[in-house]
Amino acid sequence: MHIPDGFLKFPVWAAMDAVAIPVVGVVAWRAQRDFQDNRIPLMGVMGAFIFAAQMINFPVGSGTSGHLVGAALLSFTLGPAAAAIVMTAILAIQALVFQDGGVLALGANIFNMALAGVAAGYLPWLLFGGRRAGIFLGAALSLLVSAFLALAELMISGVPMPGPVLAVSVGLFLVSAVMEGAITLVVVQAIERIQPGFLRRPAASHRKILAFGALAATVFATTTAIFVSQTPDGIESVLRRAGLPAPSIGWFHSPVADYQLDSAMAPWLSRSLAGLAGLVIVYVVCLVIARMIAASRPVPRREGA
Amino acid sequence: MRHARVERWSRGNSSIHRYHPVARILATGVLLVTIATLGPGSSTACALYFALLAGTALLASLPLLELLVSATVVLPFALCFAVISALSGDSEQAAMLLARGYLSALAALLLMATTPLPSLLAGLETLRVPRFLLLVMQFLYRYLIVLAGEAGTMRDAAKSRGGGARSIEFRQAAGTAGVLFARSFARAEAIHRAMLSRGFSGHMPASKGRPFASSDGAFLLLAAGTAIIIRVNAA
Repeated sequence: MHIPDGFLKFPVWAAMDAVAIPVVGVVAWRAQRDFQDNRIPLMGVMGAFIFAAQMINFPVGSGTSGHLVGAALLSFTLGPAAAAIVMTAILAIQALVFQDGGVLALGANIFNMALAGVAAGYLPWLLFGGRRAGIFLGAALSLLVSAFLALAELMISGVPMPGPVLAVSVGLFLVSAVMEGAITLVVVQAIERIQPGFLRRPAASHRKILAFGALAATVFATTTAIFVSQTPDGIESVLRRAGLPAPSIGWFHSPVADYQLDSAMAPWLSRSLAGLAGLVIVYVVCLVIARMIAASRPVPRREGA
Repeated sequence: MRHARVERWSRGNSSIHRYHPVARILATGVLLVTIATLGPGSSTACALYFALLAGTALLASLPLLELLVSATVVLPFALCFAVISALSGDSEQAAMLLARGYLSALAALLLMATTPLPSLLAGLETLRVPRFLLLVMQFLYRYLIVLAGEAGTMRDAAKSRGGGARSIEFRQAAGTAGVLFARSFARAEAIHRAMLSRGFSGHMPASKGRPFASSDGAFLLLAAGTAIIIRVNAA
């Protein structure tokens, strides 16, 4: 789900840009440092492959068909850092050349699909040591996490989402997630038959608990985001319905009356920022706990090492 | 194909095309921000932005109608949420979602229709976007048509061999994707070897673009200034 421009409110897209830009910068810097230079053409061509692979229709019965989304597949074959960069490049090309997704909303789309989507796809793969369940779960979770985040961002921005519509969208997301899981699984199996070396199977490692903690935190934060995002909109609509004049406590004092960042946004903004901060804290706590559990366990010796 | 048409437009030679890419990128950025922050009920501002974009397109001697139609790709998504908005009794917000979505898409399309991708990426590099990411984007864009063509050929080949039985099609599609993956991988390796043989050393030689002239600054000031004036005066 590519969010176009004009749907997210200023604090939402600005905050997402502010988060996504430095993270992509760091990942790109690490990718540049760690990878051999032959990975630049490889990553570009693999991005083009994802575009082309999305043209292939997978029939799912009764005349409908789905297609690969690919974030999880990229992370299984290129590794998570490279996959995040390739997804970022795909999203940037889609936004610029195809107007599929907004330019200002690029940060949000990158966060949803290239960062959270790739992480949610890669962690189960790591957790299950590259077994079938991990492939299916990774692809399904990747799509689900991206879609839920997009939905939450739209709702935080005050795009109305009545209960039935929300239920239908969640249902559709679940169906798409199962489809993405199934498609990715069969494509990975096909790739494996051609040449097993294409897949970067994670070594069974002691970082499993860490991965589990990160995965749990990602899924938890994403599902909570949906619920958090339902509240802030309330204040604004109540203000509007009551026809109350906007109190003059705007955080942005504009010399021009009626500037967009009006004060109705002030309680709204603090509320949603508090929600976001809460999510970040929960995420960090989960990570720290997982790291502590992982550290307290004796590290199993790697075979052959 | 869509990007082939945008690519053709971007090779034009109007005064708009000749300004420095950084000036056009920054002007588009300001325009997008001013459009994105438009409040409900600013239909005059929307009309003015539309006039500004259409006027610039005419100055750039682009086919206006085709451009306007091209920007409607954003409408299915926008319409979907606008309908929900209208049904929940907020038709003003519904109209704004549609207007902001369409105008933003038009602004981004106008940037692409006046700036070839290589000079856009060079402009972004000036603006400190990581070069590594820009290189990946460049490769991605260059091999888009090649690999899409390959996928199309494979689909035709499968059809001509009599593919299409319902029960096997899912696996068949997976096989096609797998083969496409392997071919893309092999192609990337071949590309890399060819690049090495031509002296590739980790990054592309940057073609020296011309410096940012005062006329570019004047264009940026005029375009961004107009956008801001429209925005500030919007009710």
